[in-house]
Amino acid sequence: MTTQNAQAEQFDMTRPLPIVQPWSEAFWAGAREGKLLLQHCKECSATIFYPRKFCPECWSADIEWRQASGKATVYTFSTAYDMVEPRFWADLPYTIAYVDLAEGPRMMTRIVDCAPEDIKIGMEVEVVFHKLDDKFYLPFFRPAAK
Amino acid sequence: MGANKIAIIGIGEVPTRTMPERSRWDIIYDTCMEAVRDSGLSKNDIGAVISTSPQAQPQLTAELAFGKLPEELGLENCRDTCVVNAGGAGTSNCLRLAEQYIASGVADAVLVHHVTVHSTIPIPDLIAFFAKAGVDLQWEYPFGSTYNIIMGLMANRYMHETGCTPLQMASVVTALRSWASRDPHSIFYGKAVPSPEKVLESSLLNTPLHKRESNILADGGCAMVVVSTERAKKMGKPAAYKLGESVRYFSATPMMRDMEKMVYGLRDTAKEAIAQAGITSADVDIWNVYLAYPLAHPIMAEALEIAPFGQGGQYFLEGRMSFGGDIPWSTIGDAPGRGHTGSGVSAAVYVETARQLMGRAGERQVPDCAYVYQNTSGGSGFNNIATIWGRDPK
Repeated sequence: MTTQNAQAEQFDMTRPLPIVQPWSEAFWAGAREGKLLLQHCKECSATIFYPRKFCPECWSADIEWRQASGKATVYTFSTAYDMVEPRFWADLPYTIAYVDLAEGPRMMTRIVDCAPEDIKIGMEVEVVFHKLDDKFYLPFFRPAAK
Repeated sequence: MGANKIAIIGIGEVPTRTMPERSRWDIIYDTCMEAVRDSGLSKNDIGAVISTSPQAQPQLTAELAFGKLPEELGLENCRDTCVVNAGGAGTSNCLRLAEQYIASGVADAVLVHHVTVHSTIPIPDLIAFFAKAGVDLQWEYPFGSTYNIIMGLMANRYMHETGCTPLQMASVVTALRSWASRDPHSIFYGKAVPSPEKVLESSLLNTPLHKRESNILADGGCAMVVVSTERAKKMGKPAAYKLGESVRYFSATPMMRDMEKMVYGLRDTAKEAIAQAGITSADVDIWNVYLAYPLAHPIMAEALEIAPFGQGGQYFLEGRMSFGGDIPWSTIGDAPGRGHTGSGVSAAVYVETARQLMGRAGERQVPDCAYVYQNTSGGSGFNNIATIWGRDPK
């Protein structure tokens, strides 16, 4: 048995999928179409991320989805080289970041299409969707086109 | 906030080690019996038992939650028992509940305890638990986030804003280990203290976190006996009196955490707890800080207004928070120095607070220790509970 096979038997090596709530289905449907969707409260005009059942600002149920620009700025990041879950080993090294969307909310993502040493706080990035399976496309970000 | 009318009058603890040969109940027996004997009470004086929820140990959690401990130890006059879970803030809530039990007449004396044995949990189970705890399973976990990465995100931003250097960050480990090397209950007891340069020589796990800036999972347990302030005064033995408390909630999901709000929360809870205790910041003899990762300590030093903004790391590099420095700080070395026992580190910090105020901390004893600031925080930092404990009642 190879070392890799032994690891695969000991650990869950399958890719984790998002645990979805009913009110966030639309977000993932949008991601499948290459759209980054954010909730907008029609009652108090709050822009909401992550998606909620009711507006967290005013508890209104009158919420609609709006497509975001896909533009963002890196708030902070950390590039992983070791000690991640075995199911992510194949991705190493990879960079996790918080990005501030042009519309306001902050989200966790990965920075891709960029050498780790070139990633900077304040860097302008744009969304690019990464396919996990037929249902889920994760919103990653890459350096914004000039 | 709470009335703060309790005192810790007895403590028991086993050294934090890797000890798969000891069962969890073996440790529970030893720590609880030691704490009761230390308090000067008998087992049948214990009116209630409250357990800090052991993380990643579901069988033990169920046994404790369903009342096994009073039966096991023969606590004949125990009226109630339960498990409290707020992660690393669990023990603070155990003590709050103990106060309520005492105030409402449920119990005169309450036993609060914790045990964790990581070493017999299968590695895949441990990895699976800690990978998912404290992060959002929809918006964070699928991207490959970990506790280490969450700390890296916070540290990188802090270093960007303040100019704190990797060497300054690494010096926090040196400070914490300087205390731990003198703590018989630490996994690093008697071990060489790494210099900041040595810390930076260890492999990079994720920027800016090096291997020696991370935690070693370990096994351990401790217990405390809590009574009313009045009863402790009458008993006339060394005790730790709770004098002040304040708390803020931040966020459960790390990406939702506003760093500025968090820093203000750390600052304001300290101010409010200190004011409630009727003392000033200058009266505090030990800043017994529990943050689990060294990278957060410079932020805390600045939030507590001990170091000026941007100077937290430099204070550690100058050795001011190390053993022998002028700012006694995390005198068990926090989790990086003690060994990480899940939610048990905060319980161990409370025992250390009591030990210092009782004047029984050996080589680490801070002379004439009268007031200790102690904080706890749960999950990946969802809250901060600041408390002030005194050698004497108000």
